[in-house]
Amino acid sequence: MKSTSRVLRVITAALVLVIIAAGFVARINIGTLSSFGIQDIALLCPLGALGSMLAAKLMIPRAVVSLVVFIILVIIFARAFCAWICPVSLVKRIRNIFKRKRDDTDEEQALQGGEAPEVAIKAESCSSTCSGGCATCAAKRGSALDARHFVLVGALVSTLIFGFPVFCVVCPIGLTFATIMLLVNLFAFGDVTWSIIVVPVVLILEVAVFRKWCHKICPLSAFMSLIAKLNRTFVPTIDNEKCLETSKGATCGICGQVCDEGINLRHQELSEAAMSECTKCRNCVESCPQHAISMPVLPKRRAKKTAKQQTAEA
Amino acid sequence: MKETVEQDTQETLQNEAATQPDAGASTDPSADKTEAPQKTYAGMTRRTLCLGVGSFVVLLGLGAIKPMQTKTLVRPPGGQDEDRLLSLCIRCEKCYEACPNGVIRPAHMEDGVLSMRMPTLDFESSWCDWCQEANGGDPLCVKTCQTEALTLAEGATELNTIIGKAYLDNDLCLAQRGLGCRFCFDACPYEAMDLDNNGRPYVITERCNGCGACESVCVSLENGSISTGARTRAVTVRTVEEVEGLTS
Repeated sequence: MKSTSRVLRVITAALVLVIIAAGFVARINIGTLSSFGIQDIALLCPLGALGSMLAAKLMIPRAVVSLVVFIILVIIFARAFCAWICPVSLVKRIRNIFKRKRDDTDEEQALQGGEAPEVAIKAESCSSTCSGGCATCAAKRGSALDARHFVLVGALVSTLIFGFPVFCVVCPIGLTFATIMLLVNLFAFGDVTWSIIVVPVVLILEVAVFRKWCHKICPLSAFMSLIAKLNRTFVPTIDNEKCLETSKGATCGICGQVCDEGINLRHQELSEAAMSECTKCRNCVESCPQHAISMPVLPKRRAKKTAKQQTAEA
Repeated sequence: MKETVEQDTQETLQNEAATQPDAGASTDPSADKTEAPQKTYAGMTRRTLCLGVGSFVVLLGLGAIKPMQTKTLVRPPGGQDEDRLLSLCIRCEKCYEACPNGVIRPAHMEDGVLSMRMPTLDFESSWCDWCQEANGGDPLCVKTCQTEALTLAEGATELNTIIGKAYLDNDLCLAQRGLGCRFCFDACPYEAMDLDNNGRPYVITERCNGCGACESVCVSLENGSISTGARTRAVTVRTVEEVEGLTS
């Protein structure tokens, strides 16, 4: 059974793709996600904006404005782009075509709480062994350096040295739209070129074969996750009065299992990723059997008040 | 439901936020591995570090495609400074959409890996009138370019901005066969073409700005392949350097 938000996310990403493709065919000049907007008012890709300014060693007013607007958007919505808009999430689904169906049922069983006791054991052992700080474990993704930051810095350094936006050449988002554009040009104008084969092949190699692209390579995700540390809105929050674990002492841990980013909301010590990696995908909100998780626009003040009251009482 | 949020989550979230800045140096209690302890480098496993350094090197290596770019292309108005265009173009595809004449096309991979997906001009069915009809002589591609990769200097007009130069290949020209064709001569808006004593067109290179009107109307390919192996029209717009090489 698929969650509605998962379906909704595929639909929104597909809709963005279709609108951009239709815009390209109809030539209404809405651009692609690299520079999205009506006519000459557009929001530039932050890496494109940074890259082009670094490459030319020039200050470009429109690029700076774009960068500032993008940073504000990320502070409000964190990495929601990754879950809801990025076309690469659709391209990645190509792999699912070749996936055996049995895997799905396995996953479903897992979602039905098959792994819950294991989580509890993990939680227990972890609290007893690792709580004092274990120097042997890798840090959470998003809270320390990881491969994506190397890609981000590498892209910018290379851009600075060679004087052209290096990552733009291989960016899978750009390549997705390039594939569409090349197909349109092929059928509309008979524009035959090897690019029509090379571009999609590079794209598939990057994303479908290298399936951890988003978590391990994508410099845009690294960039957004760095800014998302400032994000305080739409943060998934557990209502402890409803949560099975806190209200009834049961083991559940479903919110941790359904998170594509590896965030464990209930047991933060088991998280593979920091909260700044949250893509606001709503998987946890929908999977919670008690509907205890919500994503309030602003963090609740009330919680702080009760905390103060309790400390006062104590 | 929303009103009864408790401190527990909030506290964990706050702790999380508070520990983030220096978490890299410290720990992660999440991975309770039963096997031999993994050595970490600034919070990264060896695999992550290798992947990171590997990607870094690949990206630096990717920069090396720039010296491989030797072919120059006919660029849209404002893209004549090739170095500037290469530095600033992020391949966003916006200029293709902006062009009301559909003249701007992505460069092919055959034109160079670096140039691939960057704008070039294709005068197959139309030509560049500097958006005279659509925007009163203010090129829309320049206006729409967000990174200013396409940019015009103060006082730049279609007359003093040389996109390229027309080159007439006499081997392919129908008029050279006495067929009396003069479509290109009639199409040229800048009087950069003339007819010789036998009514055969020729290009006055000094007057040509590479608008492509002549190429867009040339019928040499459609009207009988008079020269076998012809892949282009008789009159084509090429870069200034290329035409200089051909005519000298």
